[in-house]
Amino acid sequence: MVRVIIDGKEATVEDGTTVLEAAKKLGIEIPTLCYFPNVFEEATCRICVVEDKKTGKMIPSCAFPVSEGLNVETNNERVRSDRKLALEVILAIHKIKCQSCPRKGGRCELLVLCKEYGVEGIPVCAECPLHEEDCLLANGEVCLGPLTVAGCDGICMHSNRSCEGCRGPIMRTDVIKEAVKLYSSHGITLENILVKLGRYYSSSPYYDSVVKVIAQFFNKNNKNEWFDEGDE
Amino acid sequence: MPLDVHNGLSLMDACCSQCNHKIERPCKDYITCRVNGPLCHKDVECKERRLRRISEIRNGKGGVKITVGMGSCGLAVGAGEVYHAIKKEVKQRGLEVSIVPVGCMGLCYAEPLVEIRKDGLPHAIYSKVTPENVGKILDEYLNNGDVSNAFALRSRTGNARGENKVPLLEEIDFYKYQVKWVTRNCGIINPESIEEYIAHGGYLGLNRTLKLSPGEVIEEVKRSGLRGRGGAGFPTWLKWDICRKAQGEPKYVICNADEGDPGAFMNRMLAEADPHRVLEGLIIAAYAIGATYGYIFVRAEKALMAERLEKAVDEARRYGFLGKNIFNSGFNFNVEVVRSAGAFVCGEETAMLAAIEGRRAMPRQRPPYPATHGLFGKPTTINNVETLAHVATIMAEGWEKFARYGTERSKGTKVFCITGCAKRTGAAEVPIGTTIRELIFKIAGGIREGRKFKAVQIGGPSGGCLPESALDLPIDYESLTSAGAIMGSGGLVVIDDSNCIVDVARFFTTFTMAEACGKCLPCRAGSKILYDTLSRIIDGGGLEEDLEVLENVSKFMKDASLCALGQTAPNPVLTTLKYFREEYEAHINEKRCPAKVCKKLLNYTIDKDVCIGCGLCAKNCPVEAIFKDIDGKYYIDAERCIRCGQCSMACPRGAVVKR
Repeated sequence: MVRVIIDGKEATVEDGTTVLEAAKKLGIEIPTLCYFPNVFEEATCRICVVEDKKTGKMIPSCAFPVSEGLNVETNNERVRSDRKLALEVILAIHKIKCQSCPRKGGRCELLVLCKEYGVEGIPVCAECPLHEEDCLLANGEVCLGPLTVAGCDGICMHSNRSCEGCRGPIMRTDVIKEAVKLYSSHGITLENILVKLGRYYSSSPYYDSVVKVIAQFFNKNNKNEWFDEGDE
Repeated sequence: MPLDVHNGLSLMDACCSQCNHKIERPCKDYITCRVNGPLCHKDVECKERRLRRISEIRNGKGGVKITVGMGSCGLAVGAGEVYHAIKKEVKQRGLEVSIVPVGCMGLCYAEPLVEIRKDGLPHAIYSKVTPENVGKILDEYLNNGDVSNAFALRSRTGNARGENKVPLLEEIDFYKYQVKWVTRNCGIINPESIEEYIAHGGYLGLNRTLKLSPGEVIEEVKRSGLRGRGGAGFPTWLKWDICRKAQGEPKYVICNADEGDPGAFMNRMLAEADPHRVLEGLIIAAYAIGATYGYIFVRAEKALMAERLEKAVDEARRYGFLGKNIFNSGFNFNVEVVRSAGAFVCGEETAMLAAIEGRRAMPRQRPPYPATHGLFGKPTTINNVETLAHVATIMAEGWEKFARYGTERSKGTKVFCITGCAKRTGAAEVPIGTTIRELIFKIAGGIREGRKFKAVQIGGPSGGCLPESALDLPIDYESLTSAGAIMGSGGLVVIDDSNCIVDVARFFTTFTMAEACGKCLPCRAGSKILYDTLSRIIDGGGLEEDLEVLENVSKFMKDASLCALGQTAPNPVLTTLKYFREEYEAHINEKRCPAKVCKKLLNYTIDKDVCIGCGLCAKNCPVEAIFKDIDGKYYIDAERCIRCGQCSMACPRGAVVKR
């Protein structure tokens, strides 16, 4: 048995347990993504990093065994900033196709964490409670969900209203490209969107460039000029 | 190529029927018996024969010995041909001399090197020898006693012609500041002969070690203050002590010869020129921690190094330096050479363990450390080639002599490899604590082609890029880390002012991006983001927030990467950002490359005042972007120009201006 301090709370745990398990015993939640007990414990996603106060190093809690006198902090500023960066890096290499992804709503762990740490980049579609068949776009309604930053739990769609884009646009060409494809497949044109776009998006510093990119993709779509080499 | 140059009775064979040395019957005094005449029986003739043999090894057959530097560096510039040419010449003249292939002595810029020694004449070293001038050199030296064309002399005797024109080896700048401690045999002995190593004082350290207890050996290494030469600088004795006290049998010891840094070759040089010293160190380490099996993990790309290490192990096994009951000490030890499939990450301890076990070479989270849970889950010690060579030398010479050199916290000497834009490139062994300025400007002779010093990348792709203001930094583990670089393996890549620092940062990032194993997120995705951002800056699309992105991602990689590869990968970016920020800003804000390297930011124009209207530029332009103007002179169409630089190379007057 070894004594450890986690977030100022003292605990006595068995030798060989991980920091993550010890924290769980104390009721402290540490977020994880790649960790899967007994199946995958290789600490590759680094979301679960905590700060070791003694050495000042960041350690992955899911694979780091406790030792006598270990003193870690699981939620200080440095930890949160590293986790935020980890999420941003994941999003940078993540293929954001929330509309066709089966993990919608609360099932997407990445979305939950992004919301918690204020990382923007996932569209509202990811948390829209409506399924693909019931999607408002299918009824011909102009919904800004595919273009807008998630974080609202999709309350508008819950009440059967289409997204107004109040949380602003996502500045990623692959997301915009995906959205334009979706709009086009439902017969929604550039003009339909532009009418709605100005209302909230116009306060964004990127408004002009977003409109430009959307128009560009619509143009390409009309001419059937999709080239998919950037689409891994 | 057969390197068995000494015919006749070997020092290792039994001298007469009275000699009772056999592998089956190990003896405590085997080495001393070989070197100091037979101890097991008294026979004046045997003793004389042994002394004759040792002198023959040292001075050559018939008093003439010719050595050819045949390390990888020498072979690359034609030492093989030189060796055969010398053989042919000697045969034609009917001379009786020894021709010995040796390793690299660190003077890589002067290869191929040939050293001729004759009794009574100064030992002369000739540099840049070609098969054509071999005959002339032999004539001059052997027949006329003329050394005036030599590169350097090992000693002066005063009876050779032109002796005063040639400097002593100790007097030339590259050698003057060096301390030959661990590289003492490099370029002197035949690396493929255990006999030569023993004749030059080899295996005496092992001889002494086996008479001490393992605790005493660790104590000796502790007193010497030796720290790991692989880069991190962990005290060697502590590593051994932890492993010795760890539970579990058997224990393993591994020699890390997986040197992969671009611009670092000290391990290759040591193992190619003196492989038995490394092996001796490995045996000593195994004795100290109680290991019974060892591995030498060597890079397969460095084929000569792997070959020589394999040969050394074979030979050591043949003469009972490996195997059961070594020198009747009751200590059993065996070694296997493992060739890696060549990934940079294999140099990381846990990835190396995985590779030896036969799994994919990926690092794992530490703890548990290899000292307690290493190879096959057993306690394992992993030491660098240079560390082990130091161990062998320390055990032979005693810790006091080693601890004379170095600084308070880092003792001893370190081999540094100087490459890049330096005037003299090669490997130099200097005491730790020597300043970077001394290394680059005194030993390496400054920057070649009269250019200006800009930066130096220390420690390979994981190290940092230090500017001129950091040149007076003493090279030791602590001060380099505080400057943002690392000691690493000890490679110094000198960068002159014709290089763009952003491009340099991208070069090293490309290397780490390609070599990242892909296991953990920060290294896999972070290095890609760094690369993309740097490429964007170089291509002229840099945004103001890009510097922030670089800093943030670098910090995240440093904090959260799994192994040292990812933790140190952003060092080149961070240090160049720290010391050369204005160059990044010029790229981003002014879309200008101060060093005129980044092609997309360049503009070629023709200065009409200088142009003579010869038309060579237009002829050489591959995209036909140069046209004749009304006044008979030429101009470049910037829209068509692909910035290849052909016109500026073709112009006889230098009228093409890069901007």
